[in-house]
Amino acid sequence: MTALDLSALSARQVRDGIARGDFSAREAADAAYARIDALDGEVHAFLQLMPELAYAAADRVDAARAAGDELPPLAGVPAGIKDNMNLLGTRTTCSSRMLENYESVYDCTAVRRMLDAGALPIGKLNMDEFAFGSSTENSAFGPTRNPWDLERVPGGSSGGSAAAVAAGMVSVSLGSDTGGSIRQPAALTGTVGMKPTYGRVSRYGVIAFGSSLDQIGPFTKNVDDSALLLEAIAGEDPRDATSATEAVEAYTAAVEGGVRGLRVGLATDILEVEGCAAEVKQSVLDAAEVFASLGAEVGEVALPSARHGLSAYYIIGPAEASSNLARFDGIRYGHRADDAEDVLDLYMRSRAEGFGPETIRRIMLGTYALSAGYYDAYYGQAQKARTRIIEDFRSAFERFDVVLTPTTPEPAFRFGEKSDPFTMYLNDFYTIPVNLAGNCAMSVPSGLCSSTGMPMGLQIIGDYFAETTVFRAAAAYEAALGFDTTPPLVRALAR
Amino acid sequence: MGKDRLLDVLERYEAVIGLEIHTEITAANTKMFCGCPVAFGGEPNTRVCPVCLGMPGALPVPNEAAIEWTVLAGLATDCDIALWSQFHRKQYFYPDMPKDYQISQYDLPFCSNGMVDVEVDGPGVAERLDLDGDVVADGPVPVVEDGGYRVPIGITRIHLEEDTGKMVHVGGSEGRIAGATHSLVDFNRAGTPLMELVSEPDIRTPEEARRFAQKLRSIWLVLGVSDCSMEEGSMRVDGNVSIRARGQVEFGTKTEIKNMNSFKALHDALAYEIVRQADLLDAGEAVVQETRHWDATARRTSGLRSKEEAHDYRYFPEPDMVPFSFEPEWIASLAAQLPELPDARRDRYIAEYALPKADAAMLAADSETGRYFDATVEITGADRAKQAANWMLGDLAALLNAEGIAIGDARVTPAMLAELIGLVEDGTISGKQAKQVFAEAAETGDAPGAIVEARGMKQVSDTGAIEAAVAAVLEANPAEVESYRAGKTSVIGFFVGQVMREMRGQGNPAVVNEVLRRMLG
Ligand SMILES: [Zn+2]
Repeated sequence: MTALDLSALSARQVRDGIARGDFSAREAADAAYARIDALDGEVHAFLQLMPELAYAAADRVDAARAAGDELPPLAGVPAGIKDNMNLLGTRTTCSSRMLENYESVYDCTAVRRMLDAGALPIGKLNMDEFAFGSSTENSAFGPTRNPWDLERVPGGSSGGSAAAVAAGMVSVSLGSDTGGSIRQPAALTGTVGMKPTYGRVSRYGVIAFGSSLDQIGPFTKNVDDSALLLEAIAGEDPRDATSATEAVEAYTAAVEGGVRGLRVGLATDILEVEGCAAEVKQSVLDAAEVFASLGAEVGEVALPSARHGLSAYYIIGPAEASSNLARFDGIRYGHRADDAEDVLDLYMRSRAEGFGPETIRRIMLGTYALSAGYYDAYYGQAQKARTRIIEDFRSAFERFDVVLTPTTPEPAFRFGEKSDPFTMYLNDFYTIPVNLAGNCAMSVPSGLCSSTGMPMGLQIIGDYFAETTVFRAAAAYEAALGFDTTPPLVRALAR
Repeated sequence: MGKDRLLDVLERYEAVIGLEIHTEITAANTKMFCGCPVAFGGEPNTRVCPVCLGMPGALPVPNEAAIEWTVLAGLATDCDIALWSQFHRKQYFYPDMPKDYQISQYDLPFCSNGMVDVEVDGPGVAERLDLDGDVVADGPVPVVEDGGYRVPIGITRIHLEEDTGKMVHVGGSEGRIAGATHSLVDFNRAGTPLMELVSEPDIRTPEEARRFAQKLRSIWLVLGVSDCSMEEGSMRVDGNVSIRARGQVEFGTKTEIKNMNSFKALHDALAYEIVRQADLLDAGEAVVQETRHWDATARRTSGLRSKEEAHDYRYFPEPDMVPFSFEPEWIASLAAQLPELPDARRDRYIAEYALPKADAAMLAADSETGRYFDATVEITGADRAKQAANWMLGDLAALLNAEGIAIGDARVTPAMLAELIGLVEDGTISGKQAKQVFAEAAETGDAPGAIVEARGMKQVSDTGAIEAAVAAVLEANPAEVESYRAGKTSVIGFFVGQVMREMRGQGNPAVVNEVLRRMLG
């Protein structure tokens, strides 16, 4: 048994330790699989382990070091991949029966870039089916449990990505965020989650949910690692026509910049929303105080249209999803019903058998919203609300460099607690407007809830392509707060 | 159904026809949203990739060349080019469509509001019964001109979309779905850039529909946007047709006709459908709005029998691509690249060479033919343009047709044809000899002058040699000489033949004739 503990090391420390020769990339992989052996029976973050791929990557890193080559920025860093991203040699299931046996035929650009930077592909991570959900309870293969409390959800849809990092099974992981699917589980598991500006990271190879909303982003234990991983995966991709051409800034170099003079806006109007726990609200007010004490100029900002975000999102997201999921028809790949009578029967039965209830709900919502006679009333109105939200943020960023909100209205809830879909949807109240506007935002831990002991998250929102500013603010706050990201489950292992 | 039935029906009913013409942009080389090559046929599912197979997570990247070709097509047909445009998703489930939606255009097509002039001449003119101005119809008014009429046909829009794959139904009859035990899908064609042109319902006769489609084909060919093969399906024409009583303003119920795989089929299918609808109305029955299939063998249309539900395609803006914004300067630069279009070329041939309109139109119908003609006339000079046209529309056209090759692949080059014309015009060889020389040149690729030289075919115009031959013939045929002198001048043909035989075909017929008459008289 190796002495290496990924919970005690940042990704940068793993990479530097390998570069120095303190330990090998193989030992880093060993540490990841040992932790998975120890905890994943309870946590269930992984759907698939890829030791052949991971050890082959580790051997390349170790060989490069032995040859005296300069190691890439993520050399030997154990990494997890949300199971909606394609990677050759793996199944990509989206946690759905529909794709239970689907083998990738090409690589997702962001995954490829992460692996080209030297990361080790430890395994594929659980999620809500097709990313529809905020708890991983919608996974066809069973939920992931929160390492901070196994009775509670890790958030979603990237719950597996969050839990794997929180439990020290990997140093970093990739998630995708359509309405909060990175930031919400990060907040619920005491990890750092970043949703980049729309277009900053290529969407090529991530199985689409809402094409105008989806972004891939990093889960890490700290802000510096987040900058490190985003730097590796960001940038233009000729395979994604919506990927941005703007040059990728040196995020890691900016992390130490401090916040003196930074204009920080506190989104006070939406703090008062019903369902926002008092302690969550207080943690954001405290965060504002922290920024002020570090020399930032803190002011109040209103986001009046953010309240319409949820309604607009539950039109636009399902509308795009209903279209994106049409291809899962049983003809070329995925689940196919036996003994269909004709092609219509084949479609209907394959889809009814292959999709879970929340997926079917979203497809029906979206199909309805785009139907003749309803389009203007639903999709058209939702686009108008989206424009208003974009304008809200635009005017906010004329006055401020970053905007603070809670990441979620409350900390992690118990399994089955939110059986009504709408109360579940409310969990993404603060994160959804950012996807609709396309800005970047990250969630950083803002302390533990005193009554439950569960982590809370602060959302730091930035302007378009202002990731550098967001990282700088988040790093300063993180340093000031000194949050210990190790959950009790992991501490108990060390004993 | 005879043609008379159509004319009879058109006496009482006016047809209203609109066409939808799909053309694959074969010039684009690669598919609309991925890098797979565009080609016809091939082993099934060999020109495919994750994008055009609709694999999970794959994304479309628009083919800029295809967009340029579409804008060029719009400019060539007098369309307005949108400064702001985008793709939409058209959604329906079908196995030949990998994503179960087609990336197409909806309310913001690249091109709209265009027009082309259609000329009708020949027997098809009879289908248009309002030329004398007696019968009032809405829509464009035809202009009567030499031997026919001209009518402008409006183009509603030209938009760009991706083609579907191809289904092969196995176990049924003739590859049709009825009775098939299973179906196979070939995605080689899926994602091929496809221009869809929608005409205004301005067409009033099957002949106009045919001429309109032919006119567009010739414009596309001159632009080079597509190979426009109706057999291979790179150009596909569907028609919407309804009829109404003469003088009635309201449209009747329309049917959509598919599977018209040639221009003749287009004409005949529409003619059949007009008569079929008239028969229904005459019998007091109603026309059912439906899609009907033209069967070229049975020569009739039939309903597709599928439950035609009103499709709700749930169009919405394609979120995988950003909208397009075109600069007016860019559009102007494309307009400046437009080649000479068939109508302009035809008019130039008429004006400069006084060619008959039909000949000029045929030479101008595609750029290769036009370029060949121009290159030939460049050498022969304008005063022999008519001969060049005759050769091209006669022997050369027959040869290309027989060999099934394009004019650019013919062994007889413009320079060779010009040389041949020169040999006839300066009296070196006769017209009859020229045909032999042409045939040999087409086979061997040898220059006409060299062939004439090698075969010793030079026409003899030397009066002395001809006089000697004539003298010999007259001497050998005293009886015929006698009857000529007695007034039976028709035997002159016999003498010409004999002299030519004597001279092994090389005598200049005009000189032979002249010498004969002189020596006989
Ligand atoms: Zn392709």
